[in-house]
Amino acid sequence: MGLPSKKSTLLTENSEEDDNVMDDLREEESESGSESEEEDVKLAEPSKNSIYNRDGLIEKLQDISWPENVDWMHKLSFDIDQEKEVDVNDDLARELAFYTQALEGTRLAFEKFQSMGLPFLRPPDYYAEMVKTDAHMHKVKGRLLAQKRQIEEAEERRKAREAKRIAKEVQAEKLKERAKQKKQEIESVKKWRKHRQQSGFPAGGKDSELDLGFEDGKAFERSGKKRPGVFPGDRSGGKAKQGGGKGKNGKNREFRNSKFGFGGRKGLKKQNTAETTNDLRGFSKGSVAGNKKRRR
Amino acid sequence: MGKKRKQSETQTAEPTNKDEGAPERPKRTLVGWKDKEEVAKQTESNPDSSSQVFRNKEKVMVTCSRRINYRYRHLMLNMVSLLPHCKKDNKVESKSSKGATLNELIELSGCSSCLFFECRKHQDLYLWMAKSPSGPSVKFLVNAVHTMEELKLTGNHLKGSRPLLTFSGNFEKDAHWKLLKEMIMQIFGTPKEHRKSKPYHDHVFVFSIVDDHIWFRNYQISVPHNESDKMVRGGLDKMTLVEVGPRFCLNPIKIFGGSFGGPTLYENPFYVSPNQIRALEKRQKAGKYAKKVKAKTRRKMHELSNPLEPDEFADMWRE
Repeated sequence: MGLPSKKSTLLTENSEEDDNVMDDLREEESESGSESEEEDVKLAEPSKNSIYNRDGLIEKLQDISWPENVDWMHKLSFDIDQEKEVDVNDDLARELAFYTQALEGTRLAFEKFQSMGLPFLRPPDYYAEMVKTDAHMHKVKGRLLAQKRQIEEAEERRKAREAKRIAKEVQAEKLKERAKQKKQEIESVKKWRKHRQQSGFPAGGKDSELDLGFEDGKAFERSGKKRPGVFPGDRSGGKAKQGGGKGKNGKNREFRNSKFGFGGRKGLKKQNTAETTNDLRGFSKGSVAGNKKRRR
Repeated sequence: MGKKRKQSETQTAEPTNKDEGAPERPKRTLVGWKDKEEVAKQTESNPDSSSQVFRNKEKVMVTCSRRINYRYRHLMLNMVSLLPHCKKDNKVESKSSKGATLNELIELSGCSSCLFFECRKHQDLYLWMAKSPSGPSVKFLVNAVHTMEELKLTGNHLKGSRPLLTFSGNFEKDAHWKLLKEMIMQIFGTPKEHRKSKPYHDHVFVFSIVDDHIWFRNYQISVPHNESDKMVRGGLDKMTLVEVGPRFCLNPIKIFGGSFGGPTLYENPFYVSPNQIRALEKRQKAGKYAKKVKAKTRRKMHELSNPLEPDEFADMWRE
């Protein structure tokens, strides 16, 4: 048998070649300096003494290949041309090339199966063992969900940050606006006073006071929370007086009753009835303006 | 089997009918009277088809070497789950005589091809692809391995459904690629009507040559939910692929004429073994100190050989 001898020659060849390779690599390295080595290194140029037995390969191919007229159904294979050269180191482009190749193949297969009238995809009610277990798919799903949630949370945080920034800006704008308005009002008052003085009215007169009141909108406002004609300490709000007209009790008694709470439960009186609801006396239109003024 | 017997019966039955000279009656079958023409047609087409009928009886033995990495072992198990026509065998000691052992094992298990995952130094994976009795066999270096367990590969498909095989166009470029394509097609393609295979097709294999490496991908074919039964209209546009895994990249090293041995038919001229790469890296690291010392001595020698000229103004202010 010539096999062992051949093997030994092969081995010697191999060792020789290895040496050559190492030499080549060393040269290459010295040229390129300290280049970070990747996992996948190739020789710069093909080694000269590598074997390429084309006839042998073709012969072997003919040996093993199936008969020419084999039905496509046995092979289920497609050849799909890549449109352009793919850069290996560009992961995205490479994967895209694989994906398009697979998609193209599937489309062709789908058409073929359709034309032959054979089933292609499994029907939705066909349950059988899958390659990955349900437990594994559950894990996969969990990971996907977690990722989605993470993205959403990040988005929310980003939005909140943005909103905060905007709110700050708006607040600054408002403050500026208010300062401006105040300044303007003061100025207008000053102007008006000047005008008055020029036109001959004395400053601080009765008329001017009244006018000022109008300008500020105080005329529409009640002067405090008290009702007119009611004592400051009157708990019944002046109602007690109207109810008690017996004459026997003195004025003093009446006053005390009104002050210390005589005459039924006070709680019920505080509840709204239809009457009091419709009664808008307690609300003044100018109160809003007044509030604003106080805040300023 | 039953069908065949029936046909042979028809052949034997006909001549007896003729001998009797009775008017020809339609052949009786289990279901009723069979049309005479049909019978004739069947008998006519029968010998033709029987001589030409092709039956793919591929059976792949999948095994690995001892002391294999868990990662590579998982890759092997993934391959086992993808190939319903395979037979997993025990681990084999990876030594020089493994070829003979493997050939024997293949013969014992009645397989016609073999995938042998050989792990060396716990880090390098070599994949042997062999057609059994008379070769050829190929040795690949496997890198960029991702197993099916990885969670980023989200697809799933039926176990045992026959895969569609897609090859990139550059497999036709050269003789060795053509041979590899044929081998891959035979080994990775599930035989039609294999008893463990399922009658649907829901995944597709990609074999693509980029940068002289064969890249493998496995995708699930998916259509939007509750539409897979009415795929006819618009189904093509909505079809998407989800990767199932595993992924790997095969770098062919050598093609041998026989099964696990024999004359070398092809040798990758660009191949550098990972051992050499590691040795080189080591040497590079080791050379650092030596280089420094060398540079120092060189500088010294240089200074000695070219001394500075004495400066004429050197002792100008010394007086």
